[in-house]
Amino acid sequence: MFSTILRRTALAVFTVSLLAAPARAAEPLTIHVGYAAIGVDNRPFAEGTSAATARAGEYLEKEFANDPNIKIEWFFFKGAGPAVNEGFSNDQLDFAYQGDLPALIGRANGLKTRFLLASGARKPLYLAVAKDADIKSVADLKGKKVAYQRGTNGHLSAIKILEANGLSEKDIQVINLDSAGTVAALTSQDIDAAFGDTQLINLAAKGNAKVIYTTKGQDPRYGRNAGIIARQDFIEKHPEITQRVVDAFVKAAQWSSDEPNRAALFELWHKSGTPVPILEDYFSNDTLAYRNSPLIDGLLVSQYQEQGVKAKAFGLIRREVSTDGWFEPKYLKASLEKLGLQNFWQAYGADGKPAGS
Amino acid sequence: MSVLAALRTQNAVKIRRGLTLPVLLLIFWEAASRSGLVDARFLPSLEDVFLTAKRELVDNNLFGELAASLFRNIAGFVIGSAIGVVFATLLALSRWADALATPSFNGFKQISLLAWIPLISIWFGFGEQAKIVFVAIAAFIPVVLNTYEGMRNVPGDLIEVGRALKFTPVQRVTRIFLPAAMPSIATGVHLGLIYSWLATVGAEYFLAVGPGIGGLIIAGRERFDMALVMVGVIILGLVGFLLNRLAAAGEAYLLRWRVTAH
Amino acid sequence: MSSFTNMASSATGAVGSNKTVGWKGLANRRGARRAAIGLILPVMLVLYWWLASSRGWLPEQILPSPAYVYTTAVEMIVSGEIAYHAGMSLRRVVYGFLFGAMAGLSLGMAMGLSRTVDDYVRPLFLAFAQIPTLGWIPLLMLIFGIGEALKIIVIAKGALVPMTLNTAAGIRSVPANYVEVGRALRFSRLQTLRLIVLPGAAHSIFTGVRYGLTHSWTALVGVELLASSEGLGYLLVWGRQMFWLDVVIVAMIVIGIVGFVMDKGFDLAESYLQRWKRGEA
Repeated sequence: MFSTILRRTALAVFTVSLLAAPARAAEPLTIHVGYAAIGVDNRPFAEGTSAATARAGEYLEKEFANDPNIKIEWFFFKGAGPAVNEGFSNDQLDFAYQGDLPALIGRANGLKTRFLLASGARKPLYLAVAKDADIKSVADLKGKKVAYQRGTNGHLSAIKILEANGLSEKDIQVINLDSAGTVAALTSQDIDAAFGDTQLINLAAKGNAKVIYTTKGQDPRYGRNAGIIARQDFIEKHPEITQRVVDAFVKAAQWSSDEPNRAALFELWHKSGTPVPILEDYFSNDTLAYRNSPLIDGLLVSQYQEQGVKAKAFGLIRREVSTDGWFEPKYLKASLEKLGLQNFWQAYGADGKPAGS
Repeated sequence: MSVLAALRTQNAVKIRRGLTLPVLLLIFWEAASRSGLVDARFLPSLEDVFLTAKRELVDNNLFGELAASLFRNIAGFVIGSAIGVVFATLLALSRWADALATPSFNGFKQISLLAWIPLISIWFGFGEQAKIVFVAIAAFIPVVLNTYEGMRNVPGDLIEVGRALKFTPVQRVTRIFLPAAMPSIATGVHLGLIYSWLATVGAEYFLAVGPGIGGLIIAGRERFDMALVMVGVIILGLVGFLLNRLAAAGEAYLLRWRVTAH
Repeated sequence: MSSFTNMASSATGAVGSNKTVGWKGLANRRGARRAAIGLILPVMLVLYWWLASSRGWLPEQILPSPAYVYTTAVEMIVSGEIAYHAGMSLRRVVYGFLFGAMAGLSLGMAMGLSRTVDDYVRPLFLAFAQIPTLGWIPLLMLIFGIGEALKIIVIAKGALVPMTLNTAAGIRSVPANYVEVGRALRFSRLQTLRLIVLPGAAHSIFTGVRYGLTHSWTALVGVELLASSEGLGYLLVWGRQMFWLDVVIVAMIVIGIVGFVMDKGFDLAESYLQRWKRGEA
């Protein structure tokens, strides 16, 4: 009886759903690159990794400067690693810098990604406490309000630190806050302590908090890892472009690893809003090459495997996650050969010791 | 004449009274923040708020942020209410569609609007699309509820007239049901407009960061910049007020025939 | 969700009238056959969902299988997680709502009974009411931090506006001649209020309570999404960040059920109240 209306309705719904359908990348190609962090005051920049160098130094843009059909678009996520997963599951990202836990969570949930190269894989984590808090060691956190961002690599690292000090997540009051929210809450002393990195060093430098612990210089197993993840479909469809993207990231890693560039590097990362002295502190006693190595070496692979096991044990991932077949070192290897960098970075074995070549 | 004068003074009294509290509040505010009675971090001076507003307007593209918010608000609202009117018409006029889909809709609408945020961000990712979908849902629900109610309450004799005139189904909808249900639809659309503004703020808080007034407020909180938060909150209120006024005016315009019909 | 239902209805000149449906249910009462037909769509949806996920049409990261969601739900019920988070949320809503409703009732009564108070308070009140509850949260966070006080205040604010406006409107709507009758019977002021004004305004006040509760509930989810370590809203954030869609869906369902129960409970209370009113008349 109302079939005409029905038909028109169906048509309208169809049209609207077409409008709402995810915009697919058409020719010319835009490469969508995500970054699991965001600068101070939401600046579209980051610091502390070779991926941040690639962004601020426009390595990708330069790589494709002569291909007017290829555009690079960067996305920075306040929601960090978990938000990157949301982007991957909608095919809105082709590449991303992402930490270990969120990448493993994505993998456990069936996201089809590959790990192409390390970036910011040896970032330390810091524990800061509120200015007036009476917390002197990790063990004192018991029963306290402690902030970190759930689902990020800092989360897993924090639990490992707690565990090493005889505590679990249940012994503290976890407050889930992103980096900027942590700064606000620690300043106003709404929370007692927080795990994080440069934002906490910065807060401590201003006298608004005290850093009481860091994984820096410790057993790397307490630290966290990260790397450049790519969408499998994209790699399969555009292997040459993938190679060139990896080339660009490797060049950025090389520049970021050259000690003479130290001052220039921090200046470049300062685009994220983090003050240069804070970055100097963050990298003190570490060689640039150690922190910015892109290598998928024994240490990195074993670290990711161990993180997967730990994440499962802590109940952060509810299914076994395997890293088998996930690492795709082919592109990295080709880049290293092409650029003559095979021996530029020291590879480490699973035991954390330099691997013999 | 004297009635008019009385009215005038009555109005004057009303205005004077209405302004008393806001003026007192402003005076107290200024005095408290100037004298340091209240921590300026919590209560910045009026001047501070004004300067922040100026800074945001001149240096920081406040209009751009506002335009971004308004765009997603209007886009979501239009999509949500258009689908809402069509969907509700279908439910109200087709017994089958009603029996089939109304219970599901009633279940769907029980889920508090903000509870959709995680699924929407996982399904639609970080683009503008996710925000617009969220705003559309916010507008959709009240529009459906009120349109349905209005169509259901169309007097039986009007429907009879349509039958007698051998209207086609399309004519029946456009000439009888839609006009007769117009007051209800207008109410629904009005509510939809208000809910979609709320949803715009929600989308900007909880979905990916981008330009917009909601993001501005969150940034203000993170920087402990109370003046900026206040500027944002005031803009939210002003826009809410204007949208409300606009909707009321639109409603009055659409329903102007009712007055003459009496 | 804000205040605005009332603003809208007052804009159309119909506070508390049943023209505005708000979020209330669509009429749907024609017995068991209809109920059975109404089940077709959900059943088909679940069936499609099940098929789609078992055949891999829908990637798991977009929608986990219904069986998985079911298992998670059972696990969370058995472990007491659901009860814990729902309990936290409900406790917050009850406290916040009570504060907000009491304040709204008092303010609304003052505004309804006295023109003068109304003239003084209404413009400022309406100005505040224009700002969505969600807009207040960051400001209140700066002042009250992210503790329990913030949650209670935000929820109370959600209830305050509809309660105030509907109470005032309800009292205004009591016909003057009723009050005259009271005067003729030499009722004291308190008696007039208790026996004539409040019963006359009851329907409108009830509407206020209903909207107040709905707004409180939405405000709760909002504030728990922004700053919380427990509660149903937190469960949503948690599930989102850990990419546990099953947990997200379970939390959504629980939120829906609580909303539904509150709604139905309200219908019952209202019809009971109506009966009581009729019985008295």
